[in-house]
Amino acid sequence: MAEALVVRNLSKRFGGLRAVQNLSFSINEGETVALIGPNGAGKTTSFHLITGFHRPDEGSVTAFGREIVGLRPHDICAHGLARTFQVARPFGGMTVLANVMTGAFLRDKRPEVACAKAYEAIEFVGLSAKAHTPARDLTTIDQRRLEMARALATEPRLLLLDEVMAGLNPSEIDQAVALVGKLSKRGLTIIIVEHVMRAIMAVARHIVVLDHGQKIAEGGPKEIVKNQEVVRAYLGSGYVHVATAGET
Amino acid sequence: MQRLCSPAFIGLAALAGVLIVLPLVVTSHFAIDICIRILLFAFIGVAWNLMGGYAKQLSLGHAAYFGLGAYTSTIMQIKFGISPWIGMLAGGVVAMLASLPIGAVCFRLRGPYFAIATIATAQVLMLLFLKFRDFAWGAEGTTIPNLGNTPLMMQFEAKAPYYYIALAMLALGLAITYRIERSWMGFYLVAIGEDEDAAEAVGVNAPQVKRNIYMISAFLTALAGTFYVQYIYFIDPNTAFNFNISVEAALVSIVGGIGTLWGPVIGTVLLEVTSALLQSWLGSGLGGVQLTVYSLILISVILWRPTGLLGVFTDAYKWIVRAPPAREAAIDG
Ligand SMILES: Nc1ncnc2c1ncn2[C@@H]1O[C@H](COP(=O)(O)OP(=O)(O)O)[C@@H](O)[C@H]1O
Ligand SMILES: [Mg+2]
Repeated sequence: MAEALVVRNLSKRFGGLRAVQNLSFSINEGETVALIGPNGAGKTTSFHLITGFHRPDEGSVTAFGREIVGLRPHDICAHGLARTFQVARPFGGMTVLANVMTGAFLRDKRPEVACAKAYEAIEFVGLSAKAHTPARDLTTIDQRRLEMARALATEPRLLLLDEVMAGLNPSEIDQAVALVGKLSKRGLTIIIVEHVMRAIMAVARHIVVLDHGQKIAEGGPKEIVKNQEVVRAYLGSGYVHVATAGET
Repeated sequence: MQRLCSPAFIGLAALAGVLIVLPLVVTSHFAIDICIRILLFAFIGVAWNLMGGYAKQLSLGHAAYFGLGAYTSTIMQIKFGISPWIGMLAGGVVAMLASLPIGAVCFRLRGPYFAIATIATAQVLMLLFLKFRDFAWGAEGTTIPNLGNTPLMMQFEAKAPYYYIALAMLALGLAITYRIERSWMGFYLVAIGEDEDAAEAVGVNAPQVKRNIYMISAFLTALAGTFYVQYIYFIDPNTAFNFNISVEAALVSIVGGIGTLWGPVIGTVLLEVTSALLQSWLGSGLGGVQLTVYSLILISVILWRPTGLLGVFTDAYKWIVRAPPAREAAIDG
């Protein structure tokens, strides 16, 4: 299978802090990969590096066969990489529909077409009832949905989701998991940053674990939850029992 | 057909009718002069609003383009005998070109720093024109030779033609705004004004969009400059690059409703009428009073109605007809 994204030796320092160090991983097209790790591990920074919001000190990022380090964020989006922000950043004064149309205009400048595509994306994330609500009046959770719809409207091939499930209750998490599953079935490649292990287990076939900016482990969900270093750095010793108990 | 019967269309047609007939009814020079000033400053406000309002790039240096338009057409007319009609377009092009380097520098800054940088550009241009003695008459400026009633040279004995030119410019500015507001460009501008990074994340080339709208805004502002010097038959650096023009361009939009089609028009009517009334009541000796009232209006608007007076009107309208939140509102972005 072709590689959607290849990250090689990516590093970023903020002053003396090594936020990301020598990070390498790759994702095949159509795959869903989870990026996990404790707070401050460098997950969001990795997203910023991949999507052009920060320039890496070293390393390369190849997306769909093209080197994208050095491109501006809008070029990277046009190349098919769409992202959400950990703290949602909707265009507050615009309605939900107008927000999503703004994304849709990337592929087609005709307002009727953008509007139709926007409605489709809004429906997909389950925000139809609020299509005409100003984005600033949405709840935090709906703002995240909006961000997903806005990203989807740009018709990405690779979607980067940064903690879109944070703060959701169990049934909302199930909905979100189903949504990610649906996107994956459509053939979208997805990188997901998440803390909810249950959700990660459900959506990701492959997991990359970061700690202090470095990759400490990589593999399938079952390997990862049994990996001693991951348990020590992130999951905590209680996790293994819960996870294995849940599986049997 | 349905559109032709909509209240908005009927209202607009009625307004246009009134505005077209107005100079035939109003014969007082004083009154028509105020009307011309209102149309002109509304037009400048509309030009400013495209960038300052929709994209929230609060420029306080639009006098730069007003002045460049004024000087370009005047120099072409006096030195080369070229009609100001052509000079007007040339001035627009000069302003457009000037906006490129100015934008390249100023857009590196955000918020108040951007505003200050734009102020500086207009001031620097004024200083340059004060120095250009043989080229542009230096500090003394020049009167524009009166050729009598020569429409081809944009000179008229009556005031009405000036009124119609200003009206046409305003109509042009509003038509351009209307088109932009409903197109992808309008969405991109508002998105940039809301959150430039988030806009970039969904594929908006923010630097390019800002550069383009700045060029359009500068072009239109320059047309106003040419018109103004033709109207008053005089130009000097202090008139052409006056800081008040920059302030008024921003002020009328902020008071009327920033980033809305009609905001600058409503703001201009309010401010110009107020200042004209104050002047006739208090005499022009008390210049400071006018400024004070301006400031008070601005402060009250910002405190009570950050969305401008248009917000008051639309709220009142909604309250009267008790319309449910309009579906079309989505498109307004
Ligand atoms: N713009 C920045 N300037 C300085 N330090 C930053 C910046 N962004 C992130 N950091 C630091 O980099 C580290 C990694 O942060 P981040 O990538 O946000 O972690 P995560 O998303 O995994 O929680 C943290 O220590 C954070 O404080
Ligand atoms: Mg993070």
